[in-house]
Amino acid sequence: MQTFLSGQQLEGSGVCFFGLKAILSSSTVSALLPARSPPAPSSPASREMSQKSERRGIHVDQSELLCKKGCGYYGNAAWQGLCSKCWREEYQRARQKQIQEDWALAEKLQREEEAAYASSQGAQSQPSLTPFSKFEEKKTNEKTRKVTTVKKFFSPSSRTAPKKALAARLKDSHEGKTPSPSISRQSSIETDRVSRDFVDFLKTLQKPGREIHKQSRAFIEGMANKKDLGADELSECVQDFYQNMSDRLMTHFKGSSERVERVMDQVEKYIMTRLYKNVFCPETTDDEKKDLATQHRIRALHWVTIQMLCVPVDEEIPEVSDNVVKAITDVIEMDSKRVPRDKLACITRCSKHIFNAIKITKNEPASADDFLPTLIYIVLKANPPRLQSNIQYITRFCNPSRLMTGEDGYYFTNLCCAVAFIEKLDGQSLNLSTEDFERYMSGQASPRRQEPEAWPPEGPCGGSSPGLAQVYQNLELLTGLEARQERVLEGARSLESDLISWQESVEREVQQILEKYPLEIRTPASAIDSDNVENDRLPPPLQPQVFAG
Amino acid sequence: MAAGGAGGASKTYSFKVVLLGEGCVGKTSLVLRYCENKFNDKHITTLQASFLTKKLNIGGKRVNLAIWDTAGQERFHALGPIYYRDSNGAILVYDVTDEDSFQKVKNWVKELRKMLGNEICLCIVGNKIDLEKERNVSVQDAEEYAESVGAKHYHTSAKLNKGIEELFLDLCKRMMETAQADERAKGNGASQSSTSRRGVQIVDDEPQAATAAGVGCCSG
Repeated sequence: MQTFLSGQQLEGSGVCFFGLKAILSSSTVSALLPARSPPAPSSPASREMSQKSERRGIHVDQSELLCKKGCGYYGNAAWQGLCSKCWREEYQRARQKQIQEDWALAEKLQREEEAAYASSQGAQSQPSLTPFSKFEEKKTNEKTRKVTTVKKFFSPSSRTAPKKALAARLKDSHEGKTPSPSISRQSSIETDRVSRDFVDFLKTLQKPGREIHKQSRAFIEGMANKKDLGADELSECVQDFYQNMSDRLMTHFKGSSERVERVMDQVEKYIMTRLYKNVFCPETTDDEKKDLATQHRIRALHWVTIQMLCVPVDEEIPEVSDNVVKAITDVIEMDSKRVPRDKLACITRCSKHIFNAIKITKNEPASADDFLPTLIYIVLKANPPRLQSNIQYITRFCNPSRLMTGEDGYYFTNLCCAVAFIEKLDGQSLNLSTEDFERYMSGQASPRRQEPEAWPPEGPCGGSSPGLAQVYQNLELLTGLEARQERVLEGARSLESDLISWQESVEREVQQILEKYPLEIRTPASAIDSDNVENDRLPPPLQPQVFAG
Repeated sequence: MAAGGAGGASKTYSFKVVLLGEGCVGKTSLVLRYCENKFNDKHITTLQASFLTKKLNIGGKRVNLAIWDTAGQERFHALGPIYYRDSNGAILVYDVTDEDSFQKVKNWVKELRKMLGNEICLCIVGNKIDLEKERNVSVQDAEEYAESVGAKHYHTSAKLNKGIEELFLDLCKRMMETAQADERAKGNGASQSSTSRRGVQIVDDEPQAATAAGVGCCSG
């Protein structure tokens, strides 16, 4: 708690300054708004003129023109009927009151937030959310009251570099009208934590710490007003600041560069967390366009294989493929960091995984000859989001001593090389003919289809993935099956025709025989009587009768 | 401080040195021998040999040496400038048994002089002198060439650990001299922040300046 308090003291003046400035601009506008709304002439002077000319026709009592405070001077409708002097007093008082109110609110919120932090560091606590939403509510109310000023808040001047948690919160809620409180809260928590770390760290330095803090704060404030500058100018500002700061630290620490580095790391972290939103992929540059181009490019190169790049990594070894996956994750993670140094750390971690993969495969320390192709392969596989923006951001805002000479710098340089290589990649750099390269790029063909006969020998020794090998095996099996089915079908068809012809031949034979031996029905030679069945039905044979006569 | 490293008299110098050269000339063996004193050893503890550092003490001054290996394959040649910008020294390695690799070194020298002028200390290194019998690059040719371009020439063998310490020690001394001369120049009035800060921008109309400085002989 002790550390906390002094941190607050350190910050105190900054909050005050900010509060004053922000409220100054907002209350000026809000106070003027009601006066402006009636169809009155815009400037008090012209209004007085028109009143004088109207005097002839309409009678206006002298007392109505005087200051309402009764000081004897003329009043002015634009100043709510007061004279300039009384108006200033009145206005000053109202403003003071508002400042105090806002101030109290700010303090209260901060206390609540800190309490919430103390109770739970990791998990976001419920109680702190409530005051925040209340705060949001108030903020939106204010906004509707002075809609015309909303625009002002988006302009650089409104970002008067908030110093403390609350101030950062204010900014977040101004900027992100759309995101839900939880999102803006997330980022403000990070800013918050970083500032606290920074203050804690500076505490260990005692007096110079205070000075460093003051300068960093002033710098952020200054930067907020320079938002319209191009990316290079912004970078220039930040780099100048680093330079001045480290020069000053150098004299203070009497040349102990290690300590200077340590402080500079913290300064960078603090400053860049704050500035990130404004200076990452700024609108003044075409970083975003380049990001998209690179992304498309990498996607179009999906067919590039480990063999084409001569990557000395055997992904069939589980440990190796494990490292490859980790490397890919790390390079993707870079985009989620805010501080250039953290981004660099992601690249370094990615590189270490690559080295592991190479070392396991080759059983010797990796040289640059091995490393660069592998990094290119990883970048192609990962297609990291906003790659160009991230590279630009690091180049512009990282502490140069780290970027240019250290180990991190080396890996970063390699990443830049990998990207440059991918951008310029052509058939020659993959040992392919230009035509083949074009065909693969346009998607008309894929390397495997092109040269199926080249695959079986390449597959096992080149160490293509086991999945691919399986696929090829299956394909082979399928072709075999197809042939066999074809044969079966053919057999069936010939059987069918056999059957048909057999039937026909049988029919023909029968016909022939029938023709040869036509059916003759001969009448039976025996007496009809002998086998007459219906004998008994016949009338009895006539008996000879003798007639006398 | 970016490239030049040092601040004052008792400060630590930090130097960046790039290793350039064709694929199999033994760049990696060279640095591994220097930093780890190992050659083709299965027990090499380092994970990688592409970025190595070494701390030295030369004449009471501390020097931090960062050695950047570069990919030597031909297809990565175009990436050279990204590697060697802001470097204080370059070690150009060739294989004494391989004439071709010496030609590559010549190309590199030309490029470096064009891009970085005389700010960079060049060392041309003929490696693998343990294979003296198979030598294909004559000592005289190599040394004459080196002298003509303002570079120092060394013969080394990573296998036998010959000439390597001398190479790096010499290079460091030269880089320190350059840095000190730089400081004096700065002290004479030039604003320091502009030069000591990052970003050597590659300017194409530099070659005249470079050739004027004595690279005139290398033609073609």
